[in-house]
Amino acid sequence: MTTETLIWLIPLPPILAFFLIILLTNRRKGLSHWVAIGAATLSWAAAMSVFVQAVGQHELAKEPFASFINWIPTADSWLKIGVLVDPLSAIALFFVAWTILAIFIYSVGYHNFGQPAGDHDVPGLPPHGATIEHGGHNHVVPSIEPMYSRFFAFISLFAFGMYTLVVSDNLLTLFVGWEIMGLCSYLLIGFWYAKPSARDAGVKAFMTTRVGDVFMLLGIAFVYSATGTLSYREIFQPQVLQTLAGVSTPILGLSAAGLIGLLLFIGTVGKSAQFPLHVWLPDAMEGPTPVSAMIHAATMVSAGVFMVIRIFPLLSLDPRTMTIVAFIGAFTALFAATIAVAQNDIKRVLAYSTISQLGYMIAALGAGAYVAATFHLVTHAFFKALLFLGSGSVIHGMEHGVLHTGKHIDAQDMFNMGGLRKKMPITFWTFLIGGFALSGFPLVTAGFWSKDEILASTFGGHMGVFITLAIAAFLTAFYTMRQITLTFLGEARTEAAAHAQENVWTMTAPLILLSIFAVGFGWVGIPEDFAGLRGVSSNWFHHFVGSMLGETHAIEFNWIPLLTSLTVAFGGLFVGWLAYRRTRTPAEDALQIPVLKKKWYIDEIYSALLIRPAYWIAETLVYQTMDKGLIDGLLHLFGKGTAAIGSGLRNVIDKPVINAFFGDGTAHVVQGTGRNMRAVQSGRIQQYMLVALLIMMVVAGLAYFLLIRL
Amino acid sequence: MLFIDTHLLSLILFIPAVAAVVLWLLPNGSLRFFRWWALIASLIPLVLTVYLWMGFNPNAAGYQFEEQYVWYQAIGSSLHLGVDGLSLTMVLLTTLLTPLAILASFGVTDRVKAFMMLFLFLETGMLGVFLAMDLLLFFVFWEIGLVPMYFLINQWGSANRDYASMKFMIYTMGGSLGLLLGIQLLGVVFHTFDLATITTQWSTFQGSLLGLPIQTVKTIVFWAFVIAFAVKVPVWPFHTWLPDAHTEAPTGGSMLLAGVLLKLGAYGFLRLVLPFYPDEARIFAFALAALATAAIVFGALGSFAQTDFKRLVAYSSVNHMGFVVLGIAAAGLAPGTADARIAMNGAVLQMFNHGLSAAGMFFLVGVLYDRTHTRNLEDFGGLFPLVPIYGGILIFTSMASLGLPGLNGFVSEFLVVRGTYPLLTVYTAISMLGLLFTGAYILKGIMKVLHGPLNAHWSEGAHRLVEISKREILVAAPLMILMLVIGVWPAWILDIINKAVMQLF
Amino acid sequence: MIPISWYLILAAALFSIGLFGVLSRRNAIAILLGVELMLNAVNINLVSFWRYGGIADMSGQVFAIIVFAVAAAEVAVGLALVISVYRQRRTVLADDLDLLKW
Repeated sequence: MTTETLIWLIPLPPILAFFLIILLTNRRKGLSHWVAIGAATLSWAAAMSVFVQAVGQHELAKEPFASFINWIPTADSWLKIGVLVDPLSAIALFFVAWTILAIFIYSVGYHNFGQPAGDHDVPGLPPHGATIEHGGHNHVVPSIEPMYSRFFAFISLFAFGMYTLVVSDNLLTLFVGWEIMGLCSYLLIGFWYAKPSARDAGVKAFMTTRVGDVFMLLGIAFVYSATGTLSYREIFQPQVLQTLAGVSTPILGLSAAGLIGLLLFIGTVGKSAQFPLHVWLPDAMEGPTPVSAMIHAATMVSAGVFMVIRIFPLLSLDPRTMTIVAFIGAFTALFAATIAVAQNDIKRVLAYSTISQLGYMIAALGAGAYVAATFHLVTHAFFKALLFLGSGSVIHGMEHGVLHTGKHIDAQDMFNMGGLRKKMPITFWTFLIGGFALSGFPLVTAGFWSKDEILASTFGGHMGVFITLAIAAFLTAFYTMRQITLTFLGEARTEAAAHAQENVWTMTAPLILLSIFAVGFGWVGIPEDFAGLRGVSSNWFHHFVGSMLGETHAIEFNWIPLLTSLTVAFGGLFVGWLAYRRTRTPAEDALQIPVLKKKWYIDEIYSALLIRPAYWIAETLVYQTMDKGLIDGLLHLFGKGTAAIGSGLRNVIDKPVINAFFGDGTAHVVQGTGRNMRAVQSGRIQQYMLVALLIMMVVAGLAYFLLIRL
Repeated sequence: MLFIDTHLLSLILFIPAVAAVVLWLLPNGSLRFFRWWALIASLIPLVLTVYLWMGFNPNAAGYQFEEQYVWYQAIGSSLHLGVDGLSLTMVLLTTLLTPLAILASFGVTDRVKAFMMLFLFLETGMLGVFLAMDLLLFFVFWEIGLVPMYFLINQWGSANRDYASMKFMIYTMGGSLGLLLGIQLLGVVFHTFDLATITTQWSTFQGSLLGLPIQTVKTIVFWAFVIAFAVKVPVWPFHTWLPDAHTEAPTGGSMLLAGVLLKLGAYGFLRLVLPFYPDEARIFAFALAALATAAIVFGALGSFAQTDFKRLVAYSSVNHMGFVVLGIAAAGLAPGTADARIAMNGAVLQMFNHGLSAAGMFFLVGVLYDRTHTRNLEDFGGLFPLVPIYGGILIFTSMASLGLPGLNGFVSEFLVVRGTYPLLTVYTAISMLGLLFTGAYILKGIMKVLHGPLNAHWSEGAHRLVEISKREILVAAPLMILMLVIGVWPAWILDIINKAVMQLF
Repeated sequence: MIPISWYLILAAALFSIGLFGVLSRRNAIAILLGVELMLNAVNINLVSFWRYGGIADMSGQVFAIIVFAVAAAEVAVGLALVISVYRQRRTVLADDLDLLKW
């Protein structure tokens, strides 16, 4: 089998698993997860095989693995779709395959496979626990998810979407994968659909990202009509790019390339939850935790950044677009970090942290730091997946405690936790690794190397971005330490936390796996001349990915960004620990200020400015006023008008003239005459004869006088 | 040549009508027999259409499988039938949806014989429009299609059926008055109603007519044609008959109404307006595009505003058919360019796709209505656990309707957007707002019906909701399979459409 | 020779008597008798016109004979009708036989 064929096959197992589970095995929970994990493993194996071959390929950027077929006939030509593995796709395949596999395995434990069915569990709500009798006592233990098979079907479809997106060689199939993930995120965020909050969060996610998607669709239509192709390799031909950069458009004075880039970027703003379309992502925490990891780390939000990296050659043609991108990224990075410090839900903190980190990557791209953004994308995928799965593990452990104690408290509120390091050691250590990676703990964690590279790339040319990102990095370290301190350190704040329990191996094994990458993956991208240690690192990552743009030389080493990044990381971590080591209730938390708690009131503003007006426009303006009132009103007026003309004609002409005069009149005359004349018809024969005689005499007389005498 | 090869189109066209007449002559008896009779009678044209599809040569120019019989010789009209790539697609859609609509109507128990007869007559009426190559014949079938539908709504519809059927009938007939006049005008000028002849001569016709300059006459007749078809499509602001008619019609009727009857209007644009009036189509393309955009945006908003599930789906038709008209406007603006052809491909495919998804959606609404006897979205809620299979089918079909990539709707909408973007940039950009609200109303439907807390009314006792039956799955399955197949591999149908578009425009 | 006018006056007198009988008598049989008188008055006319017209032409005689035959048939049918009416309605008075009245 050629590599190209193998690439075509990568996305297939998950979609087959999806259909298999939906159509055949949906009643067999164990079989369903075997199908899903088997498919994920197959895809993983194929992806790894492709990755290894890609890494081994000389000059992969110039001669990538590519193959295409004709898909849609478009007038004289065909729209071709195909697969492409260049360094970027290869790297993406690597982290996607690993994280997906980890998440699939984790889901088995998270959804309580092997546990009894719940006492009152219904599809559409999270499992409430099952009562079992053990040694004369009734214990409440976690119960298996009623929609277990469905979950695996959905995440399989999700995996299909992501693999499709990664191996695509064109914007259209990228968009296909993109939207399929959008659907899956909708289905998975609203997985517990009977909860109104989950249901609404799913809709919100779908609709918010769709705002970006319609712009992206326009962008795709634009680039397609401008260049006649959607394949990256053809669009990125120097002469095509030249042409696009040369054409100007009426919007903001951007060139065609800039406008296309901007339109596509708005798609990313939606998908990667950048300001102002970030609002869906925190609400997406309503989904089960593996979903959060899928959406936030491995797949969907990465897809947005991945796409921007993909179209970077196009995007970078117009400096104005780049400025917009950099601004949005940097602003989002800081903005989301400020919200994250005031959140108490363990997953929401991570959600805002994700938004912030994605802002990092976007800002880096806007500043032109292509390789650094890619690097951070990968490391972030690993450590954020780790953190989400870790937080899921914490929640799961807490839920165990909640069931055990029978007191219903919020298992996600960090102020209900504390001291979990002893109860859940594996979770604690892996979470610590993930948290340190996120904070950019120097030298050992992957997050440090990638974040440092971003700071180093923006230093000098984009000082505004640099400073914003540095502040955001400080906040990142701060809220991460706040989270770790509140969750794991100190003493248990509630009984449930005291009875929390470490989880089964299917949940902890993925944590360990991901924590290895969260540390180790940073080492492939250590700058060659880092801190004067020339020769220690070959900076493989930079050479590999940088070859895409022919940019193989790393940026010059500079002490200032390094020191900055060291300062903010250590400073943030220390301040975070210092501030929260003794905090026991939210009231003692100085950062619980409403404007941050309420996320700068963005949701409220959108609701007032967009959502409610939209309802009003749809219901009152368009439907009631325009359709029902105006158009139907006109129609009814027309109908009534014709009816009036009709009844007018009837009352004025038909009834009096035609009916009464001509119709009935004639009849009346005839009838009256008959009635009056009927006396003649006496029935007496002699009378008749007499009349006949008289008439004959008259006629004869007349005849005589008229004919003969005259 | 076999008989079947030489008379294929008349067989497809008249078998349903003949079967209907035979059904009428049959003695009153078992309902089962009537249903099966109608189903089988409508399956035969489907089989023949598949045979036709196999025998169709997409590369050949002009019409194929032509048949011509004497009809109204004195006025130069003949029974002339033929297919090309455009009509073939529509014929397939019609012959596919009719058996499904009949199968969906197996639950009807009231006057089954008459009901089934009307469906079969309706099929002949619709097929006739697509197959006719003679303007008078076209018009005759155009009007014939109305009659069975009127009775289906009027006799088997729900509460507000009198108003709806009356509105439907009068609106459509009123709209087509201009069409009749236009056709007569052409007949008077050319002494023939033959489509091919008129197409070649009319667009270059010079001189004066009825004492008016030809340009004025053409403009007037152009708008007469446009209004007739615009009412049928329907284009904003001629759309308000649609929600009423669709909502009140019985399930099978709604399926055909949305699935096929709306396509008659769009087909009229493609077959008559664009070839006959290329100049006017170019001049008025922006006006048409504006109406189409209005249909897309206001259709989506109108749909979003509904509380009646069936009305919501009905309004979605306005939204989706707007894309067809937008594509047509683009094709009228710049005939012969690649952009216009792509837009046209998209428009034709969108017609087919909307046929599938709208029929599917109406069917699913009908399934729910059969069980609950309510269509009010507020009465449902959280039904997913009760009817998981139905829920899955509903989500799938909704997503096809929403235009999810990987399913059929996306391919056609993408092609339309791609084709119109360079020609009608602003309109395309505005129509994206409609696309956004498409998502909103689809999700609203799913959210209100399937998701959220379970409405206990449907979960116990006599009201307990029953899962979708095997027969009903059988109705939905072909639609779903086609949605997926077209979404994944559209070339099999687009190739035929594309080649026809290349020849015509 | 007696002039023809005498015969004609006789015939006219006879016809008038018959007509008076038809119009004034109430009994149906008497009306029939009046009709017979009128017929015979006609016969007198016919025969006299034959005698004073062209003798060679026999049509006057022939008509008279035909009138006899018709009169005989008429009396037969007429009397039969009267008897039939009498049986049905126990009367032969013409005034009572007014079934054709409106």
